[in-house]
Amino acid sequence: MNALKELLFRLADDELLVGHRNTEWTGHGPILEEDIAFSSMAQDELGHAQAYYALLHELGEVEPDQLAFNRGAAAFRCAQLVELPRGDWAFSVARQFLYDAAESVRLGALTKSSHTPLAQAARKFIGEEKYHLMHGRTWITHLGGGGGESRARLQAALDQTFPYALGLFETSGADTAIVSEGLCAPEAELKRQWLELVTPIITKTGLKLPEAPAIEGGRTGQHTEHLAPLLNDMQLVFRTDPEATW
Amino acid sequence: MPDTQWEIYEVFHQKARGEHHLHVGSVHAADAEMALVLAKEQYARRMACVNLWVVRAADIHASDYADSDMFAHATDKSYREAFGYKVVKKMRAKEGKK
Repeated sequence: MNALKELLFRLADDELLVGHRNTEWTGHGPILEEDIAFSSMAQDELGHAQAYYALLHELGEVEPDQLAFNRGAAAFRCAQLVELPRGDWAFSVARQFLYDAAESVRLGALTKSSHTPLAQAARKFIGEEKYHLMHGRTWITHLGGGGGESRARLQAALDQTFPYALGLFETSGADTAIVSEGLCAPEAELKRQWLELVTPIITKTGLKLPEAPAIEGGRTGQHTEHLAPLLNDMQLVFRTDPEATW
Repeated sequence: MPDTQWEIYEVFHQKARGEHHLHVGSVHAADAEMALVLAKEQYARRMACVNLWVVRAADIHASDYADSDMFAHATDKSYREAFGYKVVKKMRAKEGKK
């Protein structure tokens, strides 16, 4: 697969799965207003996924619906972070914050992508992502600066999610070309910017930045045991009749 | 009894720069920062928006409904209403003389 497609599959699959996981809070949010806000952000992510799949379709891949609902786990290029079950509220907040920070850094780099349609999409998404990050920062600050239980739960969630979040910057054989073709900045550079962004927000609340090696594999199609059941669930209706028109 | 430990914030929405902020509803939130974050998705998801205000409901000084009779007009005060003046007619008449 060429470098551009590899990059687009990473972007699309990350967005599709994190969006899907976050919709699992719809109707179960901690408070009505947050239920609506979190669900709405999940819709944003699914919208981004659809746009990235459409770019792949322009490059000769099958329709966006087929890409989302008719591929098996091994074909997915998402980082393992987005596959993990939603956990408690602290877990989802920690994941969303770390993910959104990475996405906003990545979108910044993508606005300069040599693939013009991708650069245009990135410029369009950057406003939504700004809000997502504001939302995440607010929750981290509140739960982290809160009393014993909220702080302890958030620290535990950060300890769990941080190594997986480092896996968002995993590289594969495609990365040399991704950089040399000017499609995106090097993952190592994005990771540096990401750490610069998340570290002060986390430490300011008195939470500890976990020190653990990255958990990788997603970018080469190696996934956790959580992905296949998630796909079974998400793809069930489509696969019942893949030829149906909706 | 409050229905949550969180306070109520009233939300004001501005459609375009220079327009008035209009009251559109309220949200529960732990502080003003979170109220803004939550208000965005409740009240600016569909409508065009350039700016939001949130105000702690507890900070609003309101008149008492028991005193609402003070707003009633005891005598005819239609002279206070702009349509009571024949300004438009006069202005047009003047313009015609030019």
